[in-house]
Amino acid sequence: MSSTGTQLEAPDSANPKPKLRALLVEDNASDAELMLRELRREGFDVATTVVQTAAEFRRRVKEELPDIILADYNLGEWRGVEALEILHGESLDIPVIIVTGALGDVTAVECIKQGATDYVLKDGLARLPEAIRRALREKQERTLRHQVEQDLAKKVDELARSNADLEQFAYVASHDLQEPLRMVAAYTQLLAERYKGKLDETADKFIGYASEGALRMQVLIQDLLAFSRVGRNTSASGSVDCNSVMEEVLQTLAATIQESGAVVTHGELPAVWADRTQMAQVLQNLVGNAIKFRGKEPPVVSVQAEKAEQHWLFRVSDNGIGIAPEYAENIFVVFQRLHARTEYPGNGIGLAICKKIVERYGGKIWVEAQTGSGSTFKFTMPLHGPNEHGANKREQARP
Amino acid sequence: MKPAPQLLIVDDNPADVGLAREGLARSAYRGQINSAGDGVEAMAFLNRREKYASAARPDLVILDLNLPKKDGLAVLAGMKADPELRRIPVVIFSTSQLNRDIARSYELGANCYVSKPGNLNEFFSAVKSIEEFWFGPVSLPPRGE
Repeated sequence: MSSTGTQLEAPDSANPKPKLRALLVEDNASDAELMLRELRREGFDVATTVVQTAAEFRRRVKEELPDIILADYNLGEWRGVEALEILHGESLDIPVIIVTGALGDVTAVECIKQGATDYVLKDGLARLPEAIRRALREKQERTLRHQVEQDLAKKVDELARSNADLEQFAYVASHDLQEPLRMVAAYTQLLAERYKGKLDETADKFIGYASEGALRMQVLIQDLLAFSRVGRNTSASGSVDCNSVMEEVLQTLAATIQESGAVVTHGELPAVWADRTQMAQVLQNLVGNAIKFRGKEPPVVSVQAEKAEQHWLFRVSDNGIGIAPEYAENIFVVFQRLHARTEYPGNGIGLAICKKIVERYGGKIWVEAQTGSGSTFKFTMPLHGPNEHGANKREQARP
Repeated sequence: MKPAPQLLIVDDNPADVGLAREGLARSAYRGQINSAGDGVEAMAFLNRREKYASAARPDLVILDLNLPKKDGLAVLAGMKADPELRRIPVVIFSTSQLNRDIARSYELGANCYVSKPGNLNEFFSAVKSIEEFWFGPVSLPPRGE
């Protein structure tokens, strides 16, 4: 910082004089005086109020909100430790130091348990300034931590809300876009049917482009709806035997497997907690991709799973064209494609859906691949369902 | 000679009515096609009110669900609650594939539920199927009984 400005307070870090508002709970005037003197000697700029009764304490503490409370333990009618109860009852977080003539170990421990920051014996007042500094420091840290926690909770809340909004938006937008698009697609198709060859070649070409564009957009919107639906259908989670899911997937892909001459094998697969349809979607997309992105050799695809520390680790490996490492992250983004549509058809939605499904159950998905030497897609699924082990709150919180 | 069949299409989208007409033109249907653009107009037509005083009673109603003023389910409920209209078969023809809409339609007495396909050829073939069935093997309720 520049030193040209006028400073209102002399920054003397070697001998700080913090302004301190202290509330003394003390029935002995000379003891209060001793405490004050000790603090001033240590350089505290201290303003004090002295109270004696519980009623007085309750009133003053609310009025003044002091930085610190120095309370005697034995006050005749009440004890300083009761001040802690009053503070607690008023939800006030003000550090309390018990300053007392004599205090047994058991009582001292009791005071700390009740929430006193420290206790100082009156014949050892030299320790008081350091005790106060520590109490203030701890209070500051507490406030800061509380603030950070609150900020974080607020951010998490905001994020969850904006995420839900976004999902809702994607769903509504894609759903409502379908209707007008259906008209565009239908009427350009009708135009093409009825007027092909009756206008001129350019007109035929234009109509063709418009028609193709509309049809492709219909597929994109269908995909987008399927993607946004992943987070919306929540009811069907249960224990899913992946061996039988895999058999279904192989049946669905039977034609593709036969055409390509693919060999798809799988080891013993576990039961996982998921939505059966979604689990099938993940395996079908991964195996389907392994076959689609094949090299010159017939595809060889292997699906394995093993128990890792806290989850099941699934592996889908192939001998296909692989993926350049720089694209390893991109491929999981909606509508990201690495190849021309004519080379490998598709909209780039499959892996995005896989990622969304896997992450919904607290898992991760990634690829380990090199160009030209096959790919291995890996994903994790938790070992336990929400009822088997702890509670998956996120799952249950949904209506 | 048998009187020409009467069909009422209730749909707020003229483009969809146009497609249905085109689909019917490609089918064997040679009857009358009337259309209403919202639920209130549909009920006026069916009850022969105001400008529809001399309208013919339809043999079949093809009803969209998402309609302005009075939606398709309300029209359906109104028809099925009316002793004069309840015998007219109603085909729900909607883009909605929500189970909720399908179930509610049957509960209210729809005679069948057909989803409007997005693809043109599938749209035409759905219209053709409706026509072939309802104006083919089906005996429609007799007129004037």
